[in-house]
Amino acid sequence: MKQFKIGVSQKLDMLKFKNLGQEREKEINKAKIENPTTYRVNELVSILHPSKIKVKVARIEKETEDTKSFYLQPVDQEKMPPFLPGMYVTLAIKKDGRTFKRAYSISGCDKNRSYYRITIKKVENGIVSKYMHEECMLNDLFIILGPFGHFTYQPLRDSKKMVFIAGGSGITPFMSYLQNDHFKESIDSLTLFYGAKSEFDLIFKKEIDEIVSRNPKIKVIYVLSEQKRDDYAYGFIDEEKLLKENLEEKSIFVSGPPAMYFSLNEVFKKLDVPNKFIRHDIFREIPIDLQNETFKLTIKMLDKTITIPCHGNETLIESMEKGRVKTLVHCTVGECGFCRSKLLSGEVKTENASVRIKDQENKYIHPCVTYPLSDVTIEIPIK
Amino acid sequence: MENNTYDVVVIGAGNGGLVAALTLQKKGKKVLLLEKGRVPGGFASSFKRGRFEFDASLHELCEYGTIENKGEVYELLERLGITDKITMIPIQETFSVYTLDTHEEYTMPVGKKAFLAQMEKYVPNSTASMLRFFDLCEETKQALAYLNETKGHPDTKVLMEKFPNFMVVAPYSVQKVLEKIEMPSKAQEILTTYWSYLGSPAENLSFVHYASMIYSYITNAPVIPQHTSHEISLALSEEFTSLGGKLEYLSPVKEILVENETVCGVVIEDNRRFLTNHIIANISPHEVYTKLIAPEKVPDKAKKYLSSQALGARGLCVYLGLNKTMEELGLNHYSYFIYHTLNSNVEYKRMHSLYNGNLVATLQNNREGTSIMCLTSLLFNDAFDQVVTAENYYEIKEKIAENMVASFEQATNVNIHEAIEEIEVATPVTFARYSGHPDGVIYGYLASGYANLLPRVMNEPNEMYIKNLRFCGGFSSRLSGYSSAYLNGEQEALKTFGEMKNETI
Repeated sequence: MKQFKIGVSQKLDMLKFKNLGQEREKEINKAKIENPTTYRVNELVSILHPSKIKVKVARIEKETEDTKSFYLQPVDQEKMPPFLPGMYVTLAIKKDGRTFKRAYSISGCDKNRSYYRITIKKVENGIVSKYMHEECMLNDLFIILGPFGHFTYQPLRDSKKMVFIAGGSGITPFMSYLQNDHFKESIDSLTLFYGAKSEFDLIFKKEIDEIVSRNPKIKVIYVLSEQKRDDYAYGFIDEEKLLKENLEEKSIFVSGPPAMYFSLNEVFKKLDVPNKFIRHDIFREIPIDLQNETFKLTIKMLDKTITIPCHGNETLIESMEKGRVKTLVHCTVGECGFCRSKLLSGEVKTENASVRIKDQENKYIHPCVTYPLSDVTIEIPIK
Repeated sequence: MENNTYDVVVIGAGNGGLVAALTLQKKGKKVLLLEKGRVPGGFASSFKRGRFEFDASLHELCEYGTIENKGEVYELLERLGITDKITMIPIQETFSVYTLDTHEEYTMPVGKKAFLAQMEKYVPNSTASMLRFFDLCEETKQALAYLNETKGHPDTKVLMEKFPNFMVVAPYSVQKVLEKIEMPSKAQEILTTYWSYLGSPAENLSFVHYASMIYSYITNAPVIPQHTSHEISLALSEEFTSLGGKLEYLSPVKEILVENETVCGVVIEDNRRFLTNHIIANISPHEVYTKLIAPEKVPDKAKKYLSSQALGARGLCVYLGLNKTMEELGLNHYSYFIYHTLNSNVEYKRMHSLYNGNLVATLQNNREGTSIMCLTSLLFNDAFDQVVTAENYYEIKEKIAENMVASFEQATNVNIHEAIEEIEVATPVTFARYSGHPDGVIYGYLASGYANLLPRVMNEPNEMYIKNLRFCGGFSSRLSGYSSAYLNGEQEALKTFGEMKNETI
C-alpha cells in the first residue's frame, strides 16, 4: 500500500506533528505584548447593567391624594441606564437600621435620562410606601437596582395593535410606554383602558390626555368604579367594555392589582385570546389559606446560622427585612430568582414563583413569594 | 487547617470549575469554589419566561452516549456520582442543514452505517472516502485516548506503530485531510456542517479536533438533559456541597495573590482573604492576568500568551417559546444548521458582519402543546461591538432577533414568528454580563493554526506561567464546548491532585 501522507512525506508529516507544541511555543514567544485593559462590550455591561445605582431625590410630585412621584437622579454618573418601557427598578430604603427593598415600575424619564421617575401609592401597612410618603425628603440618597423586567414590547411577538389595561397605580409602567417615541412609531394603534375609583384617583390624567391629543394612534378610555360621570365610563374594566373594542389580533398588556388579573383572565379565556397576546406586569399573588401565626425562620448562611421570627402572613423576605437579615431580593415577586434559596426543613406556601423545574425538585424556593406554614429553615450560601 | 485556608480554590462554578471542584472534593481535599453569580453552571444554566424554561447555551452534549455505550462524559459524570440524578434524552439524528443561497437541504442520521448510506444517497461514490474518514476518526479517537493516558508524554515508538495515520493527519486542517483522502467536495461540505460548533472553518480547524467531535456524534447519539443544562450543573453543585465542599455565591475574586511566582491565595470582593497553594481558574486568562494579579507579578510570558491568542466567536441567541408543537409547525428536526452556502470558509468570512443570517436552531416540544426554539448565530470579529452603543442597544437587539427569525423562516419556509409566545435575546453584552469574558465571547479562543487542540495540549506544560495556577473551561487547552469543559475540569483537578501529592513527599 502506498504510504499515507498529507504533505511532502509521511516522515515530515510526523515530524510536523511532533513539533506542534514547540511551534506554538515559538508563536507565543514571538508575540508583541499588546493587551487591552478594557473591552468595549464589557464597558457597555457596566452602563446597561450596573450592579447598583446611587440616586438622589431631585423632585417629589404629589400626583393624587395617596400617590407621589419621585424623580431619581444619578449621583455618580450623568445618565440613568437605557431601559425599555415596562421595566422596573428595585428601591432600597433604610429604616431603623434595617433595609427594605421594593420593586417599582419606571413611570417615565426625560429625553436625556437624567432621572427615572417612580410613582408610589401609599399602601396601608406598606413599610416602604409609607416611608417614601412620610419621611422621604428632597436630596435624600438611595440605592436602586436595575432596570429589570420583561413587561416589554417585543415587535416579533406582539401585535402592532395594542391594548393596555391599567388599574389604579398599575398605570405606572404604561407611562414609560406613552413617553417612548420608538414604541409609538412601532405600533399601529393603542387603546388604553385606565380604571380608578374616581377622577381624583386618576394618576397622570393630564399627561395622558396631552399625549393622546398629540397622537391619533392612541386612544384612552377612563373607567371609574366609584363615581358616575357622563364623560367617563362607569364600573370595572370588564368583558362588556373590552368588547366595545375589537380585541382580535391585538396584544393586551395588563397592569394592576392581582384581583384585576384574575377577573380579566376569565374574560380572556372566554374570548379565546391566545396566551401570546396577554402580558401581565409582575405582581405578587398572595396564596389563600396562610397561617395567621408566628413561626421561627432559621437561616443558614456560610458563616453563621440565625433564627428570627416570621409571620404566616408575610413572605420570608419580609420577615428577614424586619429581622435585620441581609436579603438578596431584586424583583420581590418571584420572577427573577435572585433570592433563590434552599429549603432545608419546614412547610411553605408559594404561588406564581418562577422556579426552575430542577430547582423545585431539589427544594429551592424564591423566598420573596414564599410564606411559612410552620417553622422553616433555609440555606443561603452567602456571607 | 486554618478556617480560611484551602487545599485548592476554584474560581468560577462553570462546567469546568464544577467538575474540578467536585473531583478534588471526592479525593478528600478541602475545596473552596467561588462563584460570582447566583446559580451554578456559568453558561450551563437556564432561565424561565412564562411557561417556558430555556437552556441558556447547550445545543447538544456529545461524548455522553448511553448506559450500554458509555462515552467519556458519561464515565466522568459516573465517577462523580451524578448519573442517577440526571435524565438524558438522546437525539436521534446528527444534523439538518439548509442553505439560503444554494437552496440545499440535507439531514444526516446517527450511526456509521446509516450516515454512510445517507451520504452515498446525497453524494454518489462518496462511500470509499467516507470509510477512509471513519478509519481515521477511529484511529484519532484511540490516539487521543493514548495521549491522555500518557499525560502528554507519549512514547513515539508506540505512536508510530499504533497510530501512524493519526500522526500524519494531526498537523493538518479538516479541509486538507478530506481533500487528500479524495472525498467528493459535496460530501466534504456536508460533513463539515458542524464547523460552527467549534467556531472555525474547514481550512483553519484541526482535523483531529473536528474528527473526534463528529465521530462522537455519529457513533453515539448526542443527548440533551430532560430539564436543561441546569439539571447537570445543579446535580454537580449539590453533590459538591453534600460532600462538604464550600460553594460561595456572589463572591467574585478581585485578586489572586502571588508570591515567588507561585499562587498563595485569593481576595474576594468583600475583602475576605483565603489562602491556598492551588488555584484552578474557570474564568478567562484575560481576566486573571490583566485584572486579578498585580501587574508586577504577571510574567511577560503570560502577557505574550494573551497577545498571541485570538478571541473566539461572539454569540447572538434568540430564545423562543412557541405556542405550537413541532408537528403543528411542520418542523421535525432537533437541530437546523442554516448557512448561505455549505462552504465553511466563505461562511466564516460572512460571519464577520452583523445580521449575517447564518445560525443554528434547536427545537424541542415542551408541555401544553408548546415548543422551545433557540437560534444561535456567531460573529467572528467586533462587528457587534463597533455598532452597538448604550443608546441603540435595545434597538439592535430587536434587529438581531428579526434578522435571525427571518433567516430561519426563509431557509425552512415555515412561519414561526406568529407562534412566538415568549422571546428573549442574548447578545455579547448579555454573555459578558454573566461570564465576564472579554467582549462577551462564548467560544474561548479561536481554534486556528497553533491555537488548535493538539498544539495547545502538547504545549500545555509550558503554559503555566504562575506556578499552581491552572485553567479549565472554554479558554483552556481543550477549547470550548460542554464535553471539553467537563473533561478538562477533571484533568486539571487530577494534575492539581498529583502536584499536591508531590508536595507531601
